[in-house]
Amino acid sequence: MRASRAVATAQDAELDTRGAVAPLTHEAPAPLIGSPLLRAAHTARSALRVRAEALLRPDRRFGNAFENLILALIVLSVASVIVESTPGLPAWTKPVFHIEELIVVAVFSFEYLLRIAAAKRIRDFIFSFQGAVDLIAIAPFFLAGIDTRAVRALRLLRLLRVLKLQTRILENTVTERTHELAEKNASLARAHAQLNAELEVARALQVAILPSSFPVKPGCDGAARMIPATTMGGDFYDFIELPDGRIGLVMADVSGKGVPAAFFMAVARTNLRERAVHHAEPGVCLAQTNEVLCAQNPMDLFVTVFYCVFDPVTGVLKYANGGHNPPYVRRADGSVEALRGRGGLVLGAMPGIEYPEHTVQLLPGDRLVLFTDGITEAFNPADEAYGEERLIAEVRTHGDGAAAALVERICRSVTVFAGSAPQSDDITLTVLRWDTPR
Amino acid sequence: MLLIAQGRLDFGAADEFQRQLEQALAGAGASPAMLIVDCAALDYVSSAGLRTFLLAAKTAQRAGIGFALCALQPAVREVFDVSGFSRIMAVLADRASALAQAPQPPA
Repeated sequence: MRASRAVATAQDAELDTRGAVAPLTHEAPAPLIGSPLLRAAHTARSALRVRAEALLRPDRRFGNAFENLILALIVLSVASVIVESTPGLPAWTKPVFHIEELIVVAVFSFEYLLRIAAAKRIRDFIFSFQGAVDLIAIAPFFLAGIDTRAVRALRLLRLLRVLKLQTRILENTVTERTHELAEKNASLARAHAQLNAELEVARALQVAILPSSFPVKPGCDGAARMIPATTMGGDFYDFIELPDGRIGLVMADVSGKGVPAAFFMAVARTNLRERAVHHAEPGVCLAQTNEVLCAQNPMDLFVTVFYCVFDPVTGVLKYANGGHNPPYVRRADGSVEALRGRGGLVLGAMPGIEYPEHTVQLLPGDRLVLFTDGITEAFNPADEAYGEERLIAEVRTHGDGAAAALVERICRSVTVFAGSAPQSDDITLTVLRWDTPR
Repeated sequence: MLLIAQGRLDFGAADEFQRQLEQALAGAGASPAMLIVDCAALDYVSSAGLRTFLLAAKTAQRAGIGFALCALQPAVREVFDVSGFSRIMAVLADRASALAQAPQPPA
């Protein structure tokens, strides 16, 4: 019901716009009086058209039955024209044929009027092949009446009703195919819209589950940002407040894209977070998370994870690297160095892997910059990568201020560099600032 | 069997490349004793690309087929080193040394 109403409304609107144009050409001299009347006439006409069109639709019960009735009558009437013309029929057949002819013409005439009513442009219908055939099918009756003295040729013209059969079959096939196609297109469009909506939700969730604020600790501050790619990626970062007062920082990148990557990311993040709260050692956390991921990995995905534990009192940073690009440390003098100790295997690829731990001493004024390759491998329209040099230059030049300022600075630099080129990978960045020792 | 990889192995190319690796590992009739992927013309590998190598290495290991990469460009070699992949699969300097020795499948 709702669907048919929506269709009707759309057609009304379509006709109304035509109605607005038509009066100008026909009734230009008296638009003030003419247009409301015409508009009313058009509205009535459009309502009639919609109703007639609905009656004729072969996919509705009435339209279908009507169609079958017409088909039967065509066959019947053509057959009876032939039989009628054979000599020596009993006298009682005459009124039978007479009544049959009346019924046939009545139904055909009704159909003809209905088709005129349903036509978008009446003239187009009347002069179309089908319109002509439909008229020829009933014309002999009206020209000759039921007069027994009717010209034989006119009566034989009724044989042309065979043409009606042909146009009908053709028209039906076309209508059917058109309807099928329209329905398939509509369901495709619906499926596509639904998929897009679900991807939107998944992307929103991907961003929403990331921490929005850094744990409050005197002397240090942190900021992070994730700009998801147009096709869903699997980057994530995390800040974990540990029971001993230290802070866990995670930077990770799941291989692949789409919903599988997002799921894998959620599993990896939850597991790592859980381990981090119970084990102080980053290497142990990664090894245990790796075991879990290897055991639940139907899609053979993997994730690169850099995990570090920072002590905001002493400035000691302990870390382990599961195949992630090494973060940078920016010293107070502006020099930038990559953290050593790379080459640990990505998580989820193979069980039984150990992740060696490393330690680095941060000094007051230092910055730690964690990122994913969505930054260094952001391409511009000329197909050049943003690269490590540009990132290092930004960190060196603009790393003095607050963590959030450097995050914004780098993100802007990357998006300006990429310009109109599509963002193929998530861009994720975390900056930790440590200023005053305690 | 030798497979020559060429161009950029990113998310878009990964599926096709994976199919070719699988085909090479399945072999025509009998599976090969060893599969070497020559990466001299491979310009770029994304994480989705790395995954295809991991899948191939796993398949090869299960089937008892030797699997090795050779002649990686510095940038690609870097990706294999950072991700730790060069520790779990044979990554050799050039095609000659790959052909000369038949490395065991990764442990």
